[in-house]
Amino acid sequence: MEAPSTAPVAPIPLPTPAQEPLLRVVGAVKHFHAGVNASVKAVDGVDFEIQPGETLGLVGESGCGKSTLGRLITQLIPVTSGEIIFDGVDLTKLGGEKLRQQRQQLQMIFQDPYASLDPRMTIGDIIAEPLVNFGLVRGRKQKDARVQELLRVVGLNPYFNNRYPHEFSGGQRQRIGIARALALNPKLIVCDEPVSALDVSIQAQIINLLEDLQREFNLTYLFIAHDLSVVRHISERVMVMYLGKIVEVSPSEQLYASQEHPYTRALLSSIPVPDPRVESQRRLIELSGEIPSPLNPPSGCRFHTRCPIAQVPGICADVEPPLEEKAPERFAACHFSDKVRTV
Amino acid sequence: MTEPILQVQDLSTSFFTDDGEVKAVRGVSFDLHRGETLGIVGESGCGKSVTAMSVLGLVQRPGRVVGGKILFNGRDLLTIDAEELRQIRGRDIAMIFQDPLSSLNPVLRVGFQIDEAMKAHDKIPEPQIETRGIDLLKLVRVPDAARRIKDYPHQFSGGMRQRAMIAMGLSNRPDVLIADEPTTALDVTVQAQILELLRDLNEQTGTSIILITHNLGVVAGLCRRVVVMYAGEIVEEGPVEKIFESPQHPYTWSLLRSIPRIDANRRDRLKSIEGLPPDLISLPPGCKFSPRCPFRIERCFKDDPELVPVSEGQRAACWVMMERAYAEMGARTITDTRPGAASGVHPPGMAPLVAHESEVVADVAVEAGGSA
Repeated sequence: MEAPSTAPVAPIPLPTPAQEPLLRVVGAVKHFHAGVNASVKAVDGVDFEIQPGETLGLVGESGCGKSTLGRLITQLIPVTSGEIIFDGVDLTKLGGEKLRQQRQQLQMIFQDPYASLDPRMTIGDIIAEPLVNFGLVRGRKQKDARVQELLRVVGLNPYFNNRYPHEFSGGQRQRIGIARALALNPKLIVCDEPVSALDVSIQAQIINLLEDLQREFNLTYLFIAHDLSVVRHISERVMVMYLGKIVEVSPSEQLYASQEHPYTRALLSSIPVPDPRVESQRRLIELSGEIPSPLNPPSGCRFHTRCPIAQVPGICADVEPPLEEKAPERFAACHFSDKVRTV
Repeated sequence: MTEPILQVQDLSTSFFTDDGEVKAVRGVSFDLHRGETLGIVGESGCGKSVTAMSVLGLVQRPGRVVGGKILFNGRDLLTIDAEELRQIRGRDIAMIFQDPLSSLNPVLRVGFQIDEAMKAHDKIPEPQIETRGIDLLKLVRVPDAARRIKDYPHQFSGGMRQRAMIAMGLSNRPDVLIADEPTTALDVTVQAQILELLRDLNEQTGTSIILITHNLGVVAGLCRRVVVMYAGEIVEEGPVEKIFESPQHPYTWSLLRSIPRIDANRRDRLKSIEGLPPDLISLPPGCKFSPRCPFRIERCFKDDPELVPVSEGQRAACWVMMERAYAEMGARTITDTRPGAASGVHPPGMAPLVAHESEVVADVAVEAGGSA
């Protein structure tokens, strides 16, 4: 496979951890073919790690590559280049049965609770499908027992197993999706916008459930969402993506207080706070222009076309900034991160 | 205060489905004043969009407005004939929708669609139309408007499409602009730009805005007054500061506590509202929020509370009211109670929380409005 990434392979952007990371993504690249001599650079050289038991949040706007990255990790789509090392095994080198076996440990929860459940299967069959596929349950009795246990775990009535998805509300369907993801006792769950389609009161129920399940089953989450307030709440660390690149990784607590990348700062300044007093004080950092096309991303730093502090012409238009540690545990890809506070 | 430009009085709208009458909006009343920004908030199926559709006479079969009055400049829009309503709709009251892509015709140029909106109400000479179209696109800050006016909708980004929709809505200089979830489909940075635009338009042109949204942050930033809806009814109404700082209805209070805030302590557990909204076909007696309410008393299950004044400009429909609930919790304001009132705190002498025992193993209810 070719590796058209222009970026130098950055060092793994984490302090030496006490334990082996559960997931290590090294130089992940995904280019989608888009006609003759054209490709959409959806994910373009991404490195990060997730520690066991951690929740890593991944935020960014539509088209930044966050969902593609989630699909690369679960190997629902193959990488163009790079490594996805899960539990010590590089998934990109596996295929067929070996990959299938490995995937037991790696599950996914999807955004749309309506589209992600087969309307013609009972929820019992939906939840049991992974168990049956891996031959983990024998006979109806065993299957029903495990399904009922899973339903109970996600806060649904265990005797609902013979009902169909249309009988459930959005929040309940999302619980069913979670039960299905839990069926194989996975280590890592990739949650791709799991609460975006839900009403706020229901959203809180699902977030609380995910937090409880994490404690109970020692789960590790990659939590993908566009809503920074939700991501910040559930994640220990937050990773911000822009046009296929990671621009900042930071512990959640510190991210709101200060930012090391101007894009993160602009993103945070755009979030409306449900408090009229705070809102009247809030200063919006408006970004000029729109997100450039991932077919032809800007040279140097990809954010330079919209950045309020970019040096153009100059280093920002010419040199791609590496993701570097700017402060303890805080990483950013910016030539002028010391000036971000002045934005 | 000025004379209200739009008065909705005791509006009820139902959908007559095979399963029964879905009472989507019941007895909704509110006033909109000239130059005001009014937010209508609530969750899916609470009736906020149906209320807006009713105002414009856009409710379609099997739905029907079954009662009430909609007074615009003193005339009842529900009794005037279709042609008169057509004159008002789009000229005096305009609406913009959530999804700008499905609201624009993909095979017609953006400019043509803006012109169409103007021509429907005004006889403007051809040469002037184009310049007015360009001026409108400039007003909503579409860069390079003279060239972009010849583009097709697919050549516009999501944010630009919503700007074009707003331009269309403003083309006849309406007195009232109804925006139904105008930023829900957009990214936060684009959302912020569109809200800024609406704020400026309201200040510069004096257009009254009704903003319908589920996002409390958006309301806090744009609106001066807020109407909170639950299960087809208004449960609380008032100036934005009062609604956010001393909400009196337990639903408003619960809703505000259930959202993760970017400026809050991350370690606080979210206070979810257990259970589901009621089925609008077979509504329970009494307060519709009572099955999910942490502060309910006996009476809540029997009698339907009415909106009563609770402070200057603020009304709420509750038998308990948060003021009393706070007092019995030993707290004074919403912020006081935020950490303390974790699960299970309920004032002494009130019905204990059933919601915490049964958790979410509630009945499988058809999600309100889903069948409409």
